[in-house]
Amino acid sequence: MPALWKKILSFLLSLFLLSVIVFYAARLAPGDPLVSYYGERAEKMTPQEREWAEEKLGLDAPLYVQYIRWFLRALKGDFGVSYKYKTAVTAVIGERVGNTLRLGGTAFVLLAAGALALGLLCARLAGRWPDRLLCQVGTAISVIPEFWLSLVLILAFAVGLRWLPGSGAYCVGNREDAADRLMHLVLPVTAAVAGHLWYYAFLVRNRLLEEVRCEYVLLARAKGLGRGTVLCRHCLPNMLPSYVSVLAVGLPHILGGTYVIEVVFSYPGLGSLAYESARYKDYNLLMLLCLLSGAITMLGGLLAQAVNERIDPRIRETDRILGSEGKGHG
Amino acid sequence: MGERLRRPKKQRSRGMPTIPLCVLSLIGLGCLSGGFFLAGDAAYMDLYHAQEAPGRAFWFGTDSMGRDVFSMIWYGGRVSLEIGVLSMGISTGLGILIGAASGLAPKWLDAGLMRMTELFLSVPGLLWIVLLRGALGGADVAGLSFVIGMTGWAEIAKVVRTETRQLREKEYILAAQCMGAGFWRILWSHLAPNFMPSVLFMAVMNLRGAIGAEATLSFMGLGLPLEVVSWGSMLSLSERAMLTGSWWMIVIPGGFLVVTLLCVTEAGDWLRERGNRKKSYL
Repeated sequence: MPALWKKILSFLLSLFLLSVIVFYAARLAPGDPLVSYYGERAEKMTPQEREWAEEKLGLDAPLYVQYIRWFLRALKGDFGVSYKYKTAVTAVIGERVGNTLRLGGTAFVLLAAGALALGLLCARLAGRWPDRLLCQVGTAISVIPEFWLSLVLILAFAVGLRWLPGSGAYCVGNREDAADRLMHLVLPVTAAVAGHLWYYAFLVRNRLLEEVRCEYVLLARAKGLGRGTVLCRHCLPNMLPSYVSVLAVGLPHILGGTYVIEVVFSYPGLGSLAYESARYKDYNLLMLLCLLSGAITMLGGLLAQAVNERIDPRIRETDRILGSEGKGHG
Repeated sequence: MGERLRRPKKQRSRGMPTIPLCVLSLIGLGCLSGGFFLAGDAAYMDLYHAQEAPGRAFWFGTDSMGRDVFSMIWYGGRVSLEIGVLSMGISTGLGILIGAASGLAPKWLDAGLMRMTELFLSVPGLLWIVLLRGALGGADVAGLSFVIGMTGWAEIAKVVRTETRQLREKEYILAAQCMGAGFWRILWSHLAPNFMPSVLFMAVMNLRGAIGAEATLSFMGLGLPLEVVSWGSMLSLSERAMLTGSWWMIVIPGGFLVVTLLCVTEAGDWLRERGNRKKSYL
C-alpha cells in the first residue's frame, strides 16, 4: 500500500512543519512566560532570580536548541508542563477535551443532519415561498458573528428570561449530573449550529438543484417515481461525496467557531484553554493544542477522501488513472 | 429536461441589490463624515451620564464610562471599515500572487506551495491571527489589518491556482510567453480577466470576514486596545454590560455590525451572479 504510506508520511511532515512554525511564532511574540508560571511574583524578581527561573523552565537556551529539546521529548510522548497549571499538558488537555468533544460533536452532528434536511426541503420546494423565505432568513443569520450571537443568546435566555444557564459546563457540585450538563450545552450548541448551518444547507440545496437538471432524473420520473423519491434516492447519493468533503474541509471553521463560543460562554474546553495559553504564553500547552487541531483537520481531510471513495468508487478510479498519467487533478 | 419537476429552472437574474447598497453607502458615508456631523467627541467621558439607556439626550445611550454610544458608533465604524478594506486588499493581493505563481510554476514548486496552503488552512484562522499578532505586534489599525489580511489568502490562492493551471496550456499564454512577456504581464493581462469574477466575489467575502474577525478579536481583547474605538472594542465591554443589564451596549454596535455584514454579503452574491452570467454562453 504505497499510497497509504505516502499519505501517512505527508501527514507527519505537515505536523512537523506546523510544530516548527507554531514554536517560533509563539516564542517570538512579546510577553513574559514567567508571569504565567509565577504569577505576580515574576514582575518583582531580581535579575538573578529571573535567570534561575528561565534556566529551570529551559527558556535560556537558543530557540533551535529549545525546539530540538522539545521535539526529542515529544517523540517520547512528553509534551512538557503547563506553566499555569503546573501539571503535564496532556493531563490539562485530557481534563477538558471531553467537554469540547461534547460541544463540538453535538454541534457537528446536528449541523450535518440539519443542513441536509434543510437543503432537501429547499430543493424540493425550490422557487416557492418556503424556499425563498428560508433562503432570506438563512442569509441573515449566517452573517451574524458567532460571538455576538452567543452574547444575544445569553442576554435573552440567561439574563432576560432566566430559562437556561449562560456559562460553564455544569453547576458547582453537579459534575456528574447529565441533565445539568445538557442544560448548559443548549445555548452554546445553538450558537455553534446557527452560525454554520445555512452555509451547508445552501450548498446542499444548490448541488441538488444542479442534480435535478440531469437526464437520469427525467428517466426516473418517466418510470413513475415520485419527486421525493427521486430526490432522496437518486439525486442525494450523487451529491453526498461533495457534501462530505465540504463538511470535512469545514471542520476547522466549525472548530474555530466553537473556540470563540467557548470563550464567550466560559465553557471549560480546549477553546478557552487555547485562548488562555496564547494570551499568557503557556508555550507547551499552546504547542500541543495547535498540533491537536492541525491533526484533527488533516485527519478530517483524509477521512473525507476515504468516505468519498467508499460512496463513489469512480473517484478512486479517476485518481488512479490521473496518477498513472502523471497529472495532478484540480 | 426536468419540465415535470415544478419550476426546475427559475433563472431569475437578480438586479442590482439597491437596498443593501444604499444602506451600505449610508453607513460608509456616516462613518467617514462622523455621523453626518451629528456625532460629538467619541472619547469624551461624561461621568454624570454613565450607563444611560437610549433616550433624547443620548440617542443610543452611554457606556459605563459615560461615552456617547451614538458618536462611538460612527467613529468606531470608520476603524472597523478601514480594517476590513485594508485587510481585504492584502489578502486578495497575496492570494492572487501565490495562486498565480503556483499555477505557473514547475510541478515541484506548485506541489510545495499547495502543501503550504493546505498546512495553512489546517489551523483555525483565529489561532493564526492570535499567533501572528503576537509575532508581528499589531495593536494598531494597520498592524491588525496586516495580520488579518495575512490569514485570508489561502482560499483565493487555491481558486486562482486552479484557474491558472487550466489556462496555462492555452495557446495565447504560450504566444505571450514566446513574445517575451514576463510573469506580471501574463498575470495582469491574460490571467486576471479570467479569474477576476470569482476572485471579486471571494474578495468581498474576505471583506466580510475581516470586519467580523476584527470584531471578534477586539471583543476577546486580542485586537485593538480599548482606547481605540471600533465596533469590536465596543463589544468588549459587553461582559460588564451584561451584569448591569445595559442591553444597548450589546445590541446597538452588534446590530450595526450585522447589518453591514449582511449588506456586504448581498453585494457579494450579486457580484458572483453577475460574474457567472458573463461566463455563460447560453
